[in-house]
Amino acid sequence: MALSGPIAEYESVAGWGRGLSDQWGGDPLAEEPDKLESLASFCEFIGKDPDALLAFCFLRKKDTGERFGSVKRRDQVLQQLRDFRDQCGPDAREARRRVNDVLSFLIHGGVLIHPGMI
Amino acid sequence: MELKEVLGIRRSIRFFDPERPVEREKVQKILEAMRIASCAVNAHWLRAVVVNRAEIPPEVMAEVTVPVAALVQELAQVHIYCYCDLGIVNRIKGERLRELVDVGALAPSHGWSHKFVDEIVYPQVLKPLTEAPHYPIAAAFDCGGAGTQGLLVAYDEGLGACWTAFEDAPMRKMLEIPDDWIPLYVMNLGYPLESKEAGGQRPRPDFETLYFEGRVGQPFRRDPAVVKDLERDKMFTPPATSPNPERMKEIRELARKLGLPE
Repeated sequence: MALSGPIAEYESVAGWGRGLSDQWGGDPLAEEPDKLESLASFCEFIGKDPDALLAFCFLRKKDTGERFGSVKRRDQVLQQLRDFRDQCGPDAREARRRVNDVLSFLIHGGVLIHPGMI
Repeated sequence: MELKEVLGIRRSIRFFDPERPVEREKVQKILEAMRIASCAVNAHWLRAVVVNRAEIPPEVMAEVTVPVAALVQELAQVHIYCYCDLGIVNRIKGERLRELVDVGALAPSHGWSHKFVDEIVYPQVLKPLTEAPHYPIAAAFDCGGAGTQGLLVAYDEGLGACWTAFEDAPMRKMLEIPDDWIPLYVMNLGYPLESKEAGGQRPRPDFETLYFEGRVGQPFRRDPAVVKDLERDKMFTPPATSPNPERMKEIRELARKLGLPE
């Protein structure tokens, strides 16, 4: 079990919700619960909770402690997303939607990633 | 369209219709506009290679895109890869300046003659320039002017465009780019899926912070009557604002239409 509690209670997920609300208005995570479900499925698939997933995408410089996006780790997540998409079932549209939900979580978390890379 | 109106509707377009091809003649018009741009010493540093996105093999496409622009590059029907040919000055050795003397664009009244070009301008000015550290910057400035001229024609032809960076190595190999060409940007070209307004004219720094008169720090005085004239001529169009629910609705609908994340 990658998740130790309700997914909406993770800090990174709350941040995602704020990002979506700021961008689109309303409360997209509440209005479209499929989004949380997609993220939860992906987290189970990779064995990491959302906070750990987001944290995994960043490293800190040894000398300054400055946080930066790790290209190598992002590429690992990209591959995991491809694998996740491939096991989502025969409905390509539904698979894309689920991947896009995870991408949305990552994008609002500041990870430099988008569907052109999948 | 009038020139000022074209300037007024130009926006970097990032949502292209991935299914609608761009007519070859429109691409040619863009290139023709680049060719007649203002150009230092008539050297013409800009080189452009047109590629239909669909003809770029997926493995090359995956390498050529840069993360912040990959989607734009993916959606654009046509890519125009722009390079700066740094070797041109030492290949033509003032030849095109002599042409300008011959056609009367450069006149003796301003100090120009064949002899001046051959004995002074090329060997003592241009050749050393090509060895100076700032040479690529000066040449790239020239290319930027030519590229912009092509960009404006794209909008005049009803297209949208967006300059983006690209990874040099895979395109250099695929396009067989000579060693002395340096990569600039790729013009991503296509029919916009966005509305003509595309959220409004983009925010820009205040005029007075950019342009000065007499000395830096003394802003060029901006006459409101001139601004009104430019609004009338449609060079100034309604600005992008925040919040802008209509624009948010538009880009959300486009994301859903194209199957993109929100």
